[in-house]
Amino acid sequence: MKNSDEGARRSGPPIVFCESLTYSYPASTRPALTDVTFGLRAGEYVGVVGPNGGGKSTLVRLLNGLLRADSGSVRVGSLDPATEPYLVRRRVGMLFQNPDNGLVAPFVEDDVAFGLENLGIEREEMRERVREAILAVGLQGYERREPHTLSGGEKQRVALAGLIALDPEILLLDEPTSMLDASGRREVMERLENLRGERTVLHVTHHIEELLDADRILVLNAGRLAADVSPEQLLSDASLLRENRLTLPPVLRLAAGLGLGTAKLRTPEELAREIGEKSGARAR
Amino acid sequence: MRHVYAQNTPFEVEALKGVSLAVEPDEVLGIVGGTGSGKSTLVQHLNLLLEPTGGHVLVDGADARTLAKNELRRRVGLVFQFPEAALFAPTVEEDVAFAPRQLGLGEAEVRGRVRETLALLGAAHLAERSPHALSGGEKRRAAIAGVLAMGPEVLVLDEPTAGLDPATREDLLDVVRGLKVSGTTVVMVSHDLDEIAEVADRVCLLDAGEVRALGTPSEVFYASPAAAPATVRVASLLRSSHPEVGRPVRLDETLAALKVLLGA
Repeated sequence: MKNSDEGARRSGPPIVFCESLTYSYPASTRPALTDVTFGLRAGEYVGVVGPNGGGKSTLVRLLNGLLRADSGSVRVGSLDPATEPYLVRRRVGMLFQNPDNGLVAPFVEDDVAFGLENLGIEREEMRERVREAILAVGLQGYERREPHTLSGGEKQRVALAGLIALDPEILLLDEPTSMLDASGRREVMERLENLRGERTVLHVTHHIEELLDADRILVLNAGRLAADVSPEQLLSDASLLRENRLTLPPVLRLAAGLGLGTAKLRTPEELAREIGEKSGARAR
Repeated sequence: MRHVYAQNTPFEVEALKGVSLAVEPDEVLGIVGGTGSGKSTLVQHLNLLLEPTGGHVLVDGADARTLAKNELRRRVGLVFQFPEAALFAPTVEEDVAFAPRQLGLGEAEVRGRVRETLALLGAAHLAERSPHALSGGEKRRAAIAGVLAMGPEVLVLDEPTAGLDPATREDLLDVVRGLKVSGTTVVMVSHDLDEIAEVADRVCLLDAGEVRALGTPSEVFYASPAAAPATVRVASLLRSSHPEVGRPVRLDETLAALKVLLGA
């Protein structure tokens, strides 16, 4: 496994810890996860990438107690999700792929309040937390909108607000932008950026460009942890990318193809500016 | 063509507002637009899974409503979003054989078509496997094979790459290119402009149920570069100071144009 101690590391004991985690689905011939060990420290933002069938979703299900490991251990806080799923789910908020699956209430504010209602929280406190959560995802003015009239990006922000209202220590994001268009993806990513440092985040995605600011990226392939590296290391390691069926997004591919560094050229604007300056310099 | 959902109820929504569009033989037509722009509603009209509230769908000049539904759906094959949800047979081979068998073909013909279709999709090795034991990308191919084995003249793919890893996505784009070469017309809906840029011969941009733009990828994307693939956004930002960059769309074209610019 590729591993590194470089890059931003937060100190303190891990808040999420998996050790030698192995899991096979019933009647399956090979394990979905084999001997996976890693930890998340409080406040870390960690990405998870890898091919379809690599074990990403299985890992998420083990962390929130939907599945029970065959061997090895999972600890969230000091709790085992398989035996104390309800306690764990109070500390872990989950955001899934499909924006239509998570919304239940007639109005946005009711939807955001739904989880709190189930915890028996005082009405005044509930109002305040809902208001703050709606503000945190930038949906003020949407309180009385009906969720089904919103765009995909807005729906995912409503779902995210519902999580924030519950004030979880840990967020598990399972491809939260994969069904959104480009503008919806940008909206959701901006809101997730704001959570950086405040909460511990594990973000599963097929889009490496969403993880350029992550503290670390875990690569899961064929059920094994193939790498635990910084974004810079992953982007600059062509064979690691190839072995794990990862491709760079177009801007980074153009930058790499032109022999420009990929670290600072993430957006079309940044790449165009760099090329403009370089070609201008050549003309002079 | 218009389409109104839940007409004459309080939930009435006009999803398509007078859309006129011709799909040319042997082209790859990309349908793009934001969430809720009407992409899926539009393509479900192409085989009359949805009937237009106003207007017509013509297939080869004939009003689709005059064609038998079986005939229409054999000629215009539709692959839904997340089509793997409909896989049901014990093996991939049986699943793919289901639709052609309904056409009343002989067993040998059915077997032949299944083999050819799986080979075309690079999925021949999956024939004996259970669909439920496959990875996401393999399931997607098996599901597409089930429609393709009907031998459609037009294959409609609604978000065929959604949820797939990047490398599997590229494999599927190769499949689309292969279909075009083998003479199948492809209509492909995607919210990913970068992949439409790689495969489409023409692009139809929908916005709030109307055709906002229709033309070659270069025409459509350079007309609104703010909502264009990354390649077009980069090149259009450079065009004012460096007009020689041209109007590239595909990644390879764009890379070549930018290399010239940098004198590399």
